[in-house]
Amino acid sequence: MSVISVKRVERDYPLGKTTVHALRGVDLEIPEGSFFSIIGPSGSGKTTLLNIIGCIDNPTAGTVSIDGEETTKLNDKQITDLRLHKLGFIFQNFNLIPVLNVWENVEFPLLLMKTHRKKEIKARVEKLIAAVGLEQHAHHKPAELSGGQRQRVAIARALVTNPKIILADEPTANLDSETSHSILKLMRDLNETEKTTFVFSTHDPDVLKYAKSIVQIKDGKLVHAEEEVI
Amino acid sequence: MPLVLKIAWRNIWRHKGKCLVIGLILFLGAFFMTVGNSIISGMNAGLTENIVNSFTGDIVIISDEQDHNNVLLDMMSGKPLKVIRNYEAVEQVMDDALVHAFLPATAGVVMGLEPGAEMITYMLLGVNIERYQQMFPGNFRVTEGRVFNSGERGILIPELVRTASYEFLDYWFVPQGESLVVENLMEDAFAYKHSLELRSDLVFMGSSHSGSFFDVQVPVTGIIEYRALNKIWGNYAIVDIESFREAHNYVTGADSAIEVSEDRLDLLALNAFDELFDFDDLLADTVVEGDSFNFEELQQAFVREDSPLDLDAGSFNLVFVKLAEGVSQKDGLAHLNQVFSDNNLNVRAVSWQDSVGLIGSMAVMVKAALNIFVMCIFFVAIIIIMNTLSMAALERVTEIGMMRAIGARKGFLKTMFLCETGMLSFFFGGLGIAAGVTLVYFLRAANITTENEILQLVYGGNSFHPILTATDFLIGVTELGIVTVLSVLYPLRVVGKIVPLDAVARD
Ligand SMILES: Nc1ncnc2c1ncn2[C@@H]1O[C@H](COP(=O)(O)OP(=O)(O)OP(=O)(O)O)[C@@H](O)[C@H]1O
Ligand SMILES: [Mg+2]
Repeated sequence: MSVISVKRVERDYPLGKTTVHALRGVDLEIPEGSFFSIIGPSGSGKTTLLNIIGCIDNPTAGTVSIDGEETTKLNDKQITDLRLHKLGFIFQNFNLIPVLNVWENVEFPLLLMKTHRKKEIKARVEKLIAAVGLEQHAHHKPAELSGGQRQRVAIARALVTNPKIILADEPTANLDSETSHSILKLMRDLNETEKTTFVFSTHDPDVLKYAKSIVQIKDGKLVHAEEEVI
Repeated sequence: MPLVLKIAWRNIWRHKGKCLVIGLILFLGAFFMTVGNSIISGMNAGLTENIVNSFTGDIVIISDEQDHNNVLLDMMSGKPLKVIRNYEAVEQVMDDALVHAFLPATAGVVMGLEPGAEMITYMLLGVNIERYQQMFPGNFRVTEGRVFNSGERGILIPELVRTASYEFLDYWFVPQGESLVVENLMEDAFAYKHSLELRSDLVFMGSSHSGSFFDVQVPVTGIIEYRALNKIWGNYAIVDIESFREAHNYVTGADSAIEVSEDRLDLLALNAFDELFDFDDLLADTVVEGDSFNFEELQQAFVREDSPLDLDAGSFNLVFVKLAEGVSQKDGLAHLNQVFSDNNLNVRAVSWQDSVGLIGSMAVMVKAALNIFVMCIFFVAIIIIMNTLSMAALERVTEIGMMRAIGARKGFLKTMFLCETGMLSFFFGGLGIAAGVTLVYFLRAANITTENEILQLVYGGNSFHPILTATDFLIGVTELGIVTVLSVLYPLRVVGKIVPLDAVARD
């Protein structure tokens, strides 16, 4: 059964007197445990599609289901909780809370969940900060980090709640290839051990080596049906 | 520290500039609110002390026939106050749990009789001096002479009236049996101290409701100065009640001894006029009702006797009432008026504010102005803080949208915002209140006094004594809370409208 189900999704942006058709009828089924990559040129609609899957944006037409639940029908609180418990986000413009340090940023979603014990929180945060290689910077504020380091914090934060699905918009765009690989490896491990579903958009051919399935988008339409790479 | 508080606290430090602006406004708002409130309280306490406790009591009872309520300081109408017809019945209901003390009195404007000179009017308060001093102890001090004794004829002239008399009539009041106190002379008169015309009595004329006039001569026994609000209250000379009654042809205590009614006194007046002007027909038209009375006997009654009179047996035109501790003026008024109408007493209770007319309403206006000032501070503070906070919210759209995107509920972010404002309000508002309290403390210590009538109303007396009670303090804190909540409402709406998409929206 697919954990993400996108049906005939369209997204129009009004732009002055014209309309931009960012998505023009996208159908997509992503099975649980996928390591799924969306590729396409700039402006093709990758970010728009990920936003709609992540309930950050609403489709103009069509439906999206996450884990069997039709998200277009949920209210704001339900959507927020769905995002907190089932989804993890890594934004293209890595987005951290400026007043919190690395540790606190990673810890943040766990504290919002209010379901974990202190010890458990500490163990998880520690593990993820180590995984993204930021032990030395745990007490630095985002402003004191490089772009790549911030992106790694964002990744750790997305992974910390152990969500069912992680949506990542060009997660490695700002990383050197070494860090890229270590992070992608981390994601793959999680994907294999925890059955976490990963959906990411990318330009990076290196990243594609890790992908299990790839779909191509162009002008708001899927070009290929997904194909197994491995 | 809870997560929200931690973030809120750090956000304050991150946005120091804006927070300082908001903090400064909160500081000033709380400061002025505290000072303003304590001025209002001081004014209230001062007016209570200086008017309620010294001049009028909480409530004044007047005849229902009286067309207006400002019976004490209305110098324009010139009409004498209506007599309370059934004072004895009124006195009986004054034995009431809500009434602490009461004093029947007469008040009115009389004309000084000065052959060949201009007319001058005097405002007189006719009282049983013994009861008056029990009711309003220490509200004046005698600067020359003495207070007349109970049952004795006499008038106490306030300094203000003495000065006015000198300015208009060129004579200087000196109490009977006393000599001129040169130090007390006003500057103008000082130069003429050897040729000054001195006066030790006052001849004045009152009018009855039937239009007849009666003149009375009263010795000046003392010169007085009221403890406070001299410029306002100092127009009132205090006269023995019997002289007042005679001048107005009211039933006097002496009349009561031989049981004569108001109607008959008017008749008696007619008779006297008749003899003077030979109006035979007028007398002929007058129908005498009830028991016939002996005119000789009545006339004898006008001759003062040595035996003590019951001063409370004659007519009154008002009753000053002090309410029992803890009884509000509103409750007291409602209760007394109910009792009066239940017993068909044809009198009504009015507030002291109404009884002093313009002054009362000016006190209300000054208070309203102060209140409006405090409200304005409120309003301006709310607008500025609201604006600054809304801008702050809009500046942080990406950050807040991202927090929403990774699972923070609207409530969390609103709480965060509220905490930020709350902390600022607590700190800067608290500082403002503290500064206000300090200023009030110094103002009290400075003991500022004034001669200006309007300022006396603001001060509630001669000296400026703002008061900060525990209640005021609580009100200040509450007002600060209200300002905080009101000014954060709109910004919270702005925060509530931020959606996760704002986190990824391009510029
Ligand atoms: N808020 C918006 N208003 C108007 N047009 C928009 C908006 N967001 C996206 N678009 C348009 O929709 C189309 C798809 O944009 P999208 O950001 O999804 O592309 P993308 O594939 O993520 O590109 P990139 O690789 O550069 O990130 C573009 O033509 C873009 O201009
Ligand atoms: Mg994009």
